Amino acid sequence: MSHTVLICDDAIFMRTMLSDILQQAGFDVVGEAETGAQAVDKYRNLKPDLVTMDIVMPDMGGIDAVREITRDDPAAKVLMCSAMGQQALVVEAIQAGAKDFVVKPFQPSRVLEAVQRVLG
Amino acid sequence: MDAGRYRDLFLTEARDHLVTINQALIALEHAPVSSGRGRESVDELFRAVHTVKGMSGVMGYDAVGALSHAMETLLARVRAGEQELAEEQLSLLFDAADALEASIAAATVAADDHGGSDDARRTAAGTGELGESIANPSALDVSSLVEQLLGRRSAGAVAPSVGDAHGMALPACDGVAIHVALEPGTILPGARAQLVVARAKSLGTVTAVRPAEDALLADGFDGRFALRLVTTEDDATVERVLRAAGFLAEVRIERGVAPHSATESTDSGAHESRGAAPHPRDAAGADAGARFEAAWGNDVLKAPLQRYVRIDLRRLDHLMSLVGELLIVRGRLTQRAAALGDPALDEAVADASRLIGEVQDGVLGGRMVPVWQVFDRFPRVVRDAAHTLGKDVEFVVEGREIELDRALLEQVADPLVHLLRNAVDHGIETPAVRLMAGKRAAGRLLVSAVRERNAVVIRVSDDGRGVDRARVLQRARDEGLVDAERESLEDDEILRVISRAGFSTAERVTELSGRGVGIDAVLAKIRALGGTVELKSREGEGTSFSLRLPVTLAVIPALMARIGDESYALPLTHVTETLQLSRGRVRTVRGREVIVIREDVLPLLRLGDIVGAPRGEDRASHVVILQVAERKAGLVVDQLMGREEIVVKPFDAVRGAATCFNGATIMGDGSAALILEVSSLL
Repeated sequence: MSHTVLICDDAIFMRTMLSDILQQAGFDVVGEAETGAQAVDKYRNLKPDLVTMDIVMPDMGGIDAVREITRDDPAAKVLMCSAMGQQALVVEAIQAGAKDFVVKPFQPSRVLEAVQRVLG
Repeated sequence: MDAGRYRDLFLTEARDHLVTINQALIALEHAPVSSGRGRESVDELFRAVHTVKGMSGVMGYDAVGALSHAMETLLARVRAGEQELAEEQLSLLFDAADALEASIAAATVAADDHGGSDDARRTAAGTGELGESIANPSALDVSSLVEQLLGRRSAGAVAPSVGDAHGMALPACDGVAIHVALEPGTILPGARAQLVVARAKSLGTVTAVRPAEDALLADGFDGRFALRLVTTEDDATVERVLRAAGFLAEVRIERGVAPHSATESTDSGAHESRGAAPHPRDAAGADAGARFEAAWGNDVLKAPLQRYVRIDLRRLDHLMSLVGELLIVRGRLTQRAAALGDPALDEAVADASRLIGEVQDGVLGGRMVPVWQVFDRFPRVVRDAAHTLGKDVEFVVEGREIELDRALLEQVADPLVHLLRNAVDHGIETPAVRLMAGKRAAGRLLVSAVRERNAVVIRVSDDGRGVDRARVLQRARDEGLVDAERESLEDDEILRVISRAGFSTAERVTELSGRGVGIDAVLAKIRALGGTVELKSREGEGTSFSLRLPVTLAVIPALMARIGDESYALPLTHVTETLQLSRGRVRTVRGREVIVIREDVLPLLRLGDIVGAPRGEDRASHVVILQVAERKAGLVVDQLMGREEIVVKPFDAVRGAATCFNGATIMGDGSAALILEVSSLL
């Protein structure tokens, strides 16, 4: 059975792209969220194997969402999606419980490698 | 590669973000960062810039990426309280927003191998005067802006030096010393190092990290660091777990080494980034394209998009012109069928007519777009104008959702920008003058859209000083436009005077209004679109311009009339009634013909004279009562042919040439009819 993924990003563009990359690689994208709050909700309902999380989103950012998600489920596997120049935020996300990160612009191979490391 | 879909998605989304960016910047001019509203605006701004950066990175749009990155860096510092957001920074950000818009347009056009989507081209070229408010990419040096945005670091934020012997020294205590080196060129090395530390923590207790976390996040961090871990796991396990963090060139575990003494604890928390890590401009951009190519082909558009399909505007325009042809064929068919009198044929023709009508409605509906697509650019236009002129203007937009034919909307953008600038320049007074007049210091400028039956009324109103009536009257007398004894002018007369080409009451020529584009250009444009303009002004209280526009340009209902053998179309929006011409109703007042209808005495015009038909035998039979705003007149025609839906084929009349037609149409029998521009007659 393929791994299930929840994609969280406020840009349709990014969600579409990530979704393409992961589906190509055989993952089952079970949900998408546009805000941190949505991500927390959907995580509770969908219990995905993996979450990709944008850092900057309206209505609860990615870092707070990671914090909430890992508080509920310490084993949650969250992959942060970051842009260049957000190192401090990524560090904060890691301290909040994120398991790895990828940096935009996404290269499918990099995304998939990070996913493998997280699912390890 | 079929990147077009992504590019359009990018363009649409980036444009929304640009609007957000501009609006947030405008808000920040009025609300300090320390206020709740200011804080919110900074957050909005940051998110928008950030998202644009992320998207442009994927598309490989380098200039867009560099600019948004630099903007984001500045904003991150503002958020962290390390950087104030004074006028200087705001104006820098405004410039950057302009440059961003220009580079987005340039990037998307350049990326299009089919010569640019219409959308992208429009953005790139700017739409006429509206485009002038959008910076020309070449006019703004992107790299210098980037330098400025990045260059404003406070003196206190100098990155600590790393990699020196002392910085790497671990404190003496229990556990193993682990020396780690990241692969050269690892992206966000500080965060990657943090990931290693986090993994180490899952194995036991990390008692020290060197260099300190501040330095890990600094620009010059070379990927080499060390940590001390107290753990019960064996070395092999430790190495395996740490290596799984990825991008590790070397993991060296030393037991029983007594390192140099030092004192810092590990968890010093997160720190604001000291600036940009080197941009991964290596193959990333170009590579991304090739790598994603495999992914493109699939059914990319997901659930939220399925209800909408993006259509190339050219297809829609083509459909519209086909509908136009269909309507003409319908007319011809109906005429022929009526002549033949075959009931079965009549029925089929009636069915076809109805269906063609429905197709027409459907295609027209597809051309409708909400006015915000143009209106959302106005806040920036007004802000810039107010800024340049030292005015304080509160700008309000109403009726953003009202829909208009997109071709029309596009064409009214310039006239509206002109009216807005005009209001800021000539209408609204400076704060000092306003206070003296007992008004609020900030002027109020409103642009609103309202649907009124088959028209849309767009109003631009201000609460400024109003038109200087005495001055306009003087000018009107001087030029002999009104009788010398006139004491005052009505609003519609004022509009006629100020809309004469070249008229200006401005005492000074300003950067904004002194371009020789006057109200005459606005009027000419709106009339050419089949619309009307109305002025209302009260001295000291303000001015309002109302533009009444047909909802669509393409097809209008019209009353067909004949003079001799020629057909003319009178747009039905301006026709109030028709009557038989009877001698008893026509009088002559001061040498002019008038017609008496109930209590009204209306001037009488003869279409034959207007179109210059030879005066032969008087065949005049009917009078059509026309109305534009408050003005009415009777128009004498030879023959009325009934109502028809006509397909407007606009023709480009030379501006200033006193034409009374604004288009032509093809009739059912294949002959052409000119469309009368009613507002030019009254």
